[in-house]
Amino acid sequence: MARIDDAQKTLKVLANHSEAILEAHLTRGNRIPETEDNEKLLDTLKHHRLILSIGDEEPQLKKVLAQFLGHITESDRRRWASQHIDKLWEELLDLFEQYRQAKAKVALADQERLEDEIKEILAGLIEDIRISTETFSAYLNSGFSYITDIDLRIDQNRRVIERAQRLLTLFDSFNILELADQAGNDPFLKRLLVKYLPATLEEGRANLAYALNQLRVLLVRLREDQRLNKLVGSFEAYYERNPGFEPSIDHLDLEGCPKVLNNVAPFHVAAAPDIYDPADDSELIELAATARTINAGTTRDDVEVPSVDSVEFDADGEVIEEPEDPVESTVESLIQFILSGDLGDNEIVASDVLANSGLEIDTATWLATVTAEIDSLAVEEYRAIDVLYQSEPDPLYPDNLYIHDLVLREAHGSG
Amino acid sequence: MPSNPLFERTVTALLAGEVLCEYRHEDLVTYLLVPENQERVADFLSQLSRTLRQTGNKDAWLCAYQDLSVSGAREGVRQQFREVANHLESLVAFLRLVMNVETNDRPIAPGEHLYESQLIEQIAGTPTLEEKLRSLTEKRLFSTKKPDVAGRIRVVMETLVNKGYLVRFGTSGNDYQATGKFSWLYDMMSFIQNHEGIPEDAVDEDNQMRLT
Repeated sequence: MARIDDAQKTLKVLANHSEAILEAHLTRGNRIPETEDNEKLLDTLKHHRLILSIGDEEPQLKKVLAQFLGHITESDRRRWASQHIDKLWEELLDLFEQYRQAKAKVALADQERLEDEIKEILAGLIEDIRISTETFSAYLNSGFSYITDIDLRIDQNRRVIERAQRLLTLFDSFNILELADQAGNDPFLKRLLVKYLPATLEEGRANLAYALNQLRVLLVRLREDQRLNKLVGSFEAYYERNPGFEPSIDHLDLEGCPKVLNNVAPFHVAAAPDIYDPADDSELIELAATARTINAGTTRDDVEVPSVDSVEFDADGEVIEEPEDPVESTVESLIQFILSGDLGDNEIVASDVLANSGLEIDTATWLATVTAEIDSLAVEEYRAIDVLYQSEPDPLYPDNLYIHDLVLREAHGSG
Repeated sequence: MPSNPLFERTVTALLAGEVLCEYRHEDLVTYLLVPENQERVADFLSQLSRTLRQTGNKDAWLCAYQDLSVSGAREGVRQQFREVANHLESLVAFLRLVMNVETNDRPIAPGEHLYESQLIEQIAGTPTLEEKLRSLTEKRLFSTKKPDVAGRIRVVMETLVNKGYLVRFGTSGNDYQATGKFSWLYDMMSFIQNHEGIPEDAVDEDNQMRLT
């Protein structure tokens, strides 16, 4: 029971001082400076045998705690993967040497212990190589979109490329000959160093090379995005400062026309039917048969066109403000009257409204204005009004209709 | 020699001043990707004193004059430039509006999708964006008196479809894809910036307005 109590107390200590312990692990190489502030923390850790202090050296977290912290801070290890891999390799080299000596002295127990340690560290090394390359895949998938500012995104992309390059250099530093040399004739070391590690390194190298290439492509794209963003911003600011600005090339003689300006005016390729080629006869006859027929001898002059006033549209649409336009306000009142439901089942004739309005405009313009206003209504309102056109077909081209008047009523089916 | 419908359609579109890209003219661009076809088209155009060109980032094709001393060529170039210059302010305002709606750090790129429903939802729910849309539709290119956001957006999108900057995709009729003409527009804007000495502006906070 006492053992459980002690363990629980130790875990509570870790929880209570988690911030300082993690800081020591992640940024101070597992060392805790002996300051006045840390006095209580150091005493507590010492009491729970979580710290080690030799001579004048700064107190250091014990290996078991450091390993545990290393395990739970994997994401941070990823960030520093290349350094970690380097450190593990140094440890391995040391263990190889010890292993060889133990083997030479036939110290079987030590040999067995060292084999286990080598296996563990090598497994950690392989795992770190895998993790470090996967980290770059994560960057590629995100496209650094978690960074909102494009300049910072470019900086981060550049930093990641540098890190990938460093890692690739590190992978390249493990050469097969050196690994084979380290293994010597020992079958155990050979299996690890000549078989497993090179395979992992090769896979990591391939993944990293791909990631580096994609990161460079991403950087080019981000730089182009940044350029276009600034381009739009520049124009926006310039238009704001110079209202009515319109770029011009009228003063250029275009002797050496910049490529970007060189755009052709439309050159339409049109052709007339070949009435001299008998091969086209049947198709031409078919086309002629479906063309509109006009009574022989009838000309435009013979046809009596109904007298309807023509409409003059404002082609440029330049009018910006027209306060208190009596025509517009009359049309709006008319539309509101219909939309309000006061009309009931009755109808209203547009020309009657004009006649009683006192407005001095011609019927055609009035009808066009009413139609345009109805067309510009929101969908719900538009559907709430039924418009019936009173029309008459053109005697010569019956598809064309002459509109004489509009009958307006409330659309009861609109819901 | 037998006629080739793809050749005919490609040169007809190029001569008509179209900017060919994979999003609007997929089959024609695929045809042009074959070097022999490219050569055939270029040879044909050269007989009309014209040549085949690509935009700066190589994602769209267009036709250019081979020699500007031929009759009407310079006026043609000026005419095409005026077409952009007259509406540039409206196009820049549109690009900024979309960047704000999509909370993007860059203007729309060829191939990107725009969904009318998303634009309406975002703009109608954000007064500053609604104001930007209102100001946009007061400009000549997108001028409309439609009172509602949906109506105004529809006018803007239809104008851009007619001008070749967008194509409709999908079956709803309300989803759009940006074409390679935007690449051409950015090339043109870069030229105008240098030519008119428009200073590179530091992008301020307002321009990078975010909705979140």
